[in-house]
Amino acid sequence: MPDWGQRVELDDVSGQVAIAGVGESDMSRASGRSTREIVGQAIDRALADAGLAPSEIDGLMYHPWGEPFTAADFHARYGTRHEIWESREGGGMHWAGSAPYHAAAALRSGRARHVLNSFGVAWASQRAQMLGGPGQAHAEDATKRNLELPLGWFPQPVYFATIARRHMIDFGTSEAQLGAVAVAMRRHANHNRAAVMRDRALTLEQYLAEPMILDPFRKLDCCLISDGGGAYVMTSPERARDLRPPPVEVLGLGVGRSATGEYWALQDPITSTPQVFSAPAAYAMAGIRAADVDVLTCYDPFTIHSILFVEDMGFCAKGEGGPFVASGALDFETGSIPYNPHGGHLSHAYVLGIAHVVETVRQLRGEADAQVADARIGVYGGYTGGATSTLVLGRA
Amino acid sequence: MHAAFPLPDPDFAPTREFWAAAARRELRMPRCGCGAWRWYPAESCAACGTRAAPDWELQSGRARLFSWCVVRHVFLPHFAERVPYVTGLVVLEESKLRLATEIVDCAPEALAAELPLEVAFRALRFPGVAGEAVAPCFRPRGGT
Repeated sequence: MPDWGQRVELDDVSGQVAIAGVGESDMSRASGRSTREIVGQAIDRALADAGLAPSEIDGLMYHPWGEPFTAADFHARYGTRHEIWESREGGGMHWAGSAPYHAAAALRSGRARHVLNSFGVAWASQRAQMLGGPGQAHAEDATKRNLELPLGWFPQPVYFATIARRHMIDFGTSEAQLGAVAVAMRRHANHNRAAVMRDRALTLEQYLAEPMILDPFRKLDCCLISDGGGAYVMTSPERARDLRPPPVEVLGLGVGRSATGEYWALQDPITSTPQVFSAPAAYAMAGIRAADVDVLTCYDPFTIHSILFVEDMGFCAKGEGGPFVASGALDFETGSIPYNPHGGHLSHAYVLGIAHVVETVRQLRGEADAQVADARIGVYGGYTGGATSTLVLGRA
Repeated sequence: MHAAFPLPDPDFAPTREFWAAAARRELRMPRCGCGAWRWYPAESCAACGTRAAPDWELQSGRARLFSWCVVRHVFLPHFAERVPYVTGLVVLEESKLRLATEIVDCAPEALAAELPLEVAFRALRFPGVAGEAVAPCFRPRGGT
């Protein structure tokens, strides 16, 4: 096992949590909606999907970063007053994949029976600059602000264009291979009625004809900036069988961390992600191998990430991600590992991973727009830069 | 955010010596008494745990280009007059530490992995921000 990071030791929670309801808000460019309104809509839909009344939700998970939807927000929206267990170990990004671990403990102890995790952003409406949006957390880090930002190494597009270049140097990855990811995600979005880019086609020729905005990235290598959010309801597998949709169970879960955190300048190897730690841990808990995965959804802020993740999660060897994605491996109908069939952050919406989990559940139920045939095992690869989660879900 | 953002913050202690050295046209990197480099600067040493201040060791300024990108898009209004510029990571010769920096005096087409570089001190100025800071930028070594 490489020593530049580690897997977090977790108890085995396989078979202890089911996802019984999912919902996503309307996905859009700048819409004037507030984050609370967006997340509230996603929660409305998740509750309707599960067939649960608001008064039955007795656990809420969110992350304090951003604009969390707390118990106070929940009561304000639904006019309820009951006691709600709250956990700050939820939300989007890598927490969208690790929240079920903490929900498992609450379900086991009886502190909660139906736990709802939610996340949303109104970044398209809120900002025009990278400050106040995705770049803000990095500008607020005093070390980055004093050693990286003044020299122009900021924000995320710059970090990951630099990492993409190093992947090109080390492994011969090409612009057309980055483009293959963008094209695959757009094709998926063109099949998904909820995707922001549902009506906009993209060919590799069109991709290559676009100007670079920070070589080697074009705008099409970067995620959208969106208004949107999602939510999902967790309960015990026993209880889930009484609820409306076909239940989907958590088979395994892993969390990985880089020793250098979000200081990518220092991470060695710079072209790896902590998925090399979290994915094997999650597969082991689930008793599966990468080859058993029918559908994969990963937190994809830039095209290069999808190449890194298929390598780091065991779908091809390190360095072979470029040729792998260019071979059509990601396609929801014909690929060897159908990947982000909703269109991902590049073409569905950039709502920081929460909609990836919603999509994975829909795929396993057979209810997705770009449906992967007979999907039985789905994996979400969560990412927060220095940390990853791997959530293995299975059709019960 | 401090008043002079995006210039370095003189009140941020961990990087004060780095910028003070740069103002003297010196590249200095923090090294613990135990011999370990302490990069990025931290209050304690990850290797030995001491909280004693590191020594700031003078570097030759020789480096190799590790990776880079050519920034054409304006992400922060302060950089509107600087684009297009080349920023990236270099590996310093003695310490093998990686430094985020700006690559100057080089056409983007001439950039290549492992390109030999040398430090080139440049004054950083940002529109609408008072003052300046001398920063260790890098350029191709020996006119190559």
